[in-house]
Amino acid sequence: MKEGQTVDTEKAGWEPRIIAFLCNWCSYAGADLAGISRLQYPPNVRVIRVPCSGRVNPYFIIKSLQHGVDGVLVSGCHPGDCHYINGNLVARRRFAIFKSILEFMGVEKGRVQFSWISAAEGERFSQVIKEVTEEIKALGPGKRFVKEI
Amino acid sequence: MKGKVIGKEQLAGWLDNLREEYDVWAPVKGNGLVSFHPINSASEIYFGFLNTRKTPKDLFFPQSEVLFSFRRGEMEKDRDTLLEKPRIIFAIRPCDAQNLALLDKVFDSEDYQDPYYVERRKGTLLFGMACTHPQTTCFCTSMRAGPFEKTCLDLLIVDLGNDRYFVEAVTEQGKDAIGKNNLLEDAGEKDTERLAKTKKEAEEKIKSKIVIEGLEEKLDKIFDSSLWDRVHQRCLGCAICTYLCSTCHCFALLDEKVDSGGQRIRSWDSCMFPGFTLEASGHNPRISNKERMRQRVMHKFNYFVKNFGQTACVGCGRCIRNCPVNIDIREIIQEIDNE
Amino acid sequence: MQENQKHLREAAEKLLSDKKVDVIIGYERGTLPLRTRPVFIREPDETKKLVWNSRCENNLSFYLKTAKGKVGIVAKGCDARSIVGLIKERQVKREDIFIIGVPCPGIIDRKKIEDTLEGRDLQEGVESDSQVILKGEGFEEKADKDKLLHSSCTTCTHRNPVLYDTLIGKEIPEPKMDEYSDVEEFSSKKDNERWTYFNDETSRCIRCYACRNACPSCYCPQCFVDQSLPTWFGRTPHPSDTLIFHMIRTLHTAGRCVDCGTCSRVCPMNVELQILNKKAEKDVKELYGYEVGTNLEELPPMATFKIDDPQEFIK
Ligand code: SF4
Ligand code: SF4
Ligand code: SF4
Ligand code: SF4
Ligand code: SF4
Repeated sequence: MKEGQTVDTEKAGWEPRIIAFLCNWCSYAGADLAGISRLQYPPNVRVIRVPCSGRVNPYFIIKSLQHGVDGVLVSGCHPGDCHYINGNLVARRRFAIFKSILEFMGVEKGRVQFSWISAAEGERFSQVIKEVTEEIKALGPGKRFVKEI
Repeated sequence: MKGKVIGKEQLAGWLDNLREEYDVWAPVKGNGLVSFHPINSASEIYFGFLNTRKTPKDLFFPQSEVLFSFRRGEMEKDRDTLLEKPRIIFAIRPCDAQNLALLDKVFDSEDYQDPYYVERRKGTLLFGMACTHPQTTCFCTSMRAGPFEKTCLDLLIVDLGNDRYFVEAVTEQGKDAIGKNNLLEDAGEKDTERLAKTKKEAEEKIKSKIVIEGLEEKLDKIFDSSLWDRVHQRCLGCAICTYLCSTCHCFALLDEKVDSGGQRIRSWDSCMFPGFTLEASGHNPRISNKERMRQRVMHKFNYFVKNFGQTACVGCGRCIRNCPVNIDIREIIQEIDNE
Repeated sequence: MQENQKHLREAAEKLLSDKKVDVIIGYERGTLPLRTRPVFIREPDETKKLVWNSRCENNLSFYLKTAKGKVGIVAKGCDARSIVGLIKERQVKREDIFIIGVPCPGIIDRKKIEDTLEGRDLQEGVESDSQVILKGEGFEEKADKDKLLHSSCTTCTHRNPVLYDTLIGKEIPEPKMDEYSDVEEFSSKKDNERWTYFNDETSRCIRCYACRNACPSCYCPQCFVDQSLPTWFGRTPHPSDTLIFHMIRTLHTAGRCVDCGTCSRVCPMNVELQILNKKAEKDVKELYGYEVGTNLEELPPMATFKIDDPQEFIK
């Protein structure tokens, strides 16, 4: 059984667990703004703050799937806004190949998602989280790569 | 020697009878590879095999197994039942069976018994299939054995090249396995003659030879020889030669954990990996492929002999056939001899 | 090929006698029928050991990373592309190597020979221009080389080395073909089928890492699967960990893999994942216009970016 999981996922009422890796300078601040502005978004995401989307090693994502999360979102600054100038641009290539290979191997499209959200886009943040949560909910529980210990 | 014979057509019936009491494992072909699998019918058996790619050692000493699991500092579950039912390994090759005698020395000695290995070993009958078509890479006859070797077997089965198998019971348990049905009949004189002839022919087919007499002493003297600089050069440092080897038996213990619980796992390891000797300080006493290659040769032909009185190689030839850069242990032994 | 083998030996002998190189890495006859293997030649009179034929399957650029002194290296089309990559990634200096290029009509896949033999033991093999003769106990058969070529070779469009100091023999024509038709066909399958395929293939993997160790692009002093502080992924052949090992290796070699096929040829368990490497190769070509190992100047695609790189996949 997956760590910390107590409900039968196949039963009605299942809610996906999603990890969101948010860059410190833009997307995390965007999430903050959403919070301060009291914007509603689904509580399914667990946020992990990273310095930059370029810090997100594909290991983090695949390890999350292995431990049984149902979806992963990585979000960083819009191109041109990166605090470290081009961290997100190098990451963009890495994620493009990663996502392509992941889906080529048979992981459902939408299980792993990416977005650019700036510090000013609180509204957009809550919108993206809603979308991502809905999409992952539609896919059902994550099964591929899951390793049960 | 009193033997039995069974018509090839009757074999399926015999195995079906045995399956009532045992799980029968036999060579099965899939994806271009032959390997041992539990079978539900004799028709699944692939008889055209020379030997399996992987050795059946993993039926006793699996590549990885959970020793126990734990949660919040407490033992959660001891090992699973290792064997549901007693097992028969049908058509194991004599070299791979002989190998178990070597593994017994490691995992089932007077000082130490490995419960996982011992339980599997005790619950298994070995029905050997003599090699009537040894491969060019086989050199079992140099390793104090041969294509009709009976060490560790309960039964030896020989394809007589006609429509019959010769079946010889080696142990009491083997005798019981025969005794339980009437498909086998006593061997006649013609069968015994044919057996002797088949055996002689098979032994003669093994042309490849190595000399192990004096090898241990020789190796004592050449630890620092420049020979090792030469022989390792092309080695890639993969572990094919050790993972596919009949006799290699090194393992690592690992804990795999999630927050509060986990498992202790035993998993094959290989002296050809740099991490095998990597110390916590970061120092690695076997710094390159040269030292690792030397270790592999020394362990088989020197250290094991010192510890257990026997060479840790049964001449199955797997390391030769499967090395991606064609490093040939026979050649290395020859070079050592020439030193 | 016989002719080229002769030229190869002559060229090698001259290089060594003129002291232009300290060692030549090439192929010699192996100890098994139809096998060749890497050889390191330091004396001019040993150059007669060198062979060149359709069984020269190893990618010798692997050895450049540890070789000392000035090295002469025999390079097929794919090997030369690997060498370009290694130079670019500063694993080897251009001036330290002398590339003896050989145009390559394709390499025979040992596994296809095995399939032809159906379990019979090969005792002798002879290669001619278009065929190989296989001999053993009670059989002698001919097989067409064309049908035995490794899958990477059947879609190779760089048979002639892209970089060399001397070329043995004449260039051969490069075939025109759709080299990624297999990737496209595979992509058109359903998620489930693809997932099943990769699971089936990796289920045989014994994690010997021969694929990684033989790969010229995998030269990390410590590979991610060997890391223990922290241990990223498990070391046992657990299906999930094994799949991840292969997947991440593909990511690490993306934009660097030249589809030489070495990883699939060395695998003792017939694990066939070339399609994964090819997919990554195709992606970097289509997304970033980069063809691996063909150009010394361009930065490796995963080490750089353009401001207008495609980003449709990002919300
Ligand atoms: S199989 Fe060959 S290349 Fe691999 S470690 Fe063994 S000797 Fe070296
Ligand atoms: S060393 Fe080689 S020949 Fe000897 S038992 Fe191991 S694999 Fe077989
Ligand atoms: S060479 Fe084959 S068996 Fe070994 S790790 Fe690679 S895929 Fe697995
Ligand atoms: S991943 Fe395989 S095909 Fe690609 S360069 Fe490495 S060995 Fe060659
Ligand atoms: S798989 Fe990745 S980490 Fe491992 S050796 Fe290859 S490139 Fe390096």
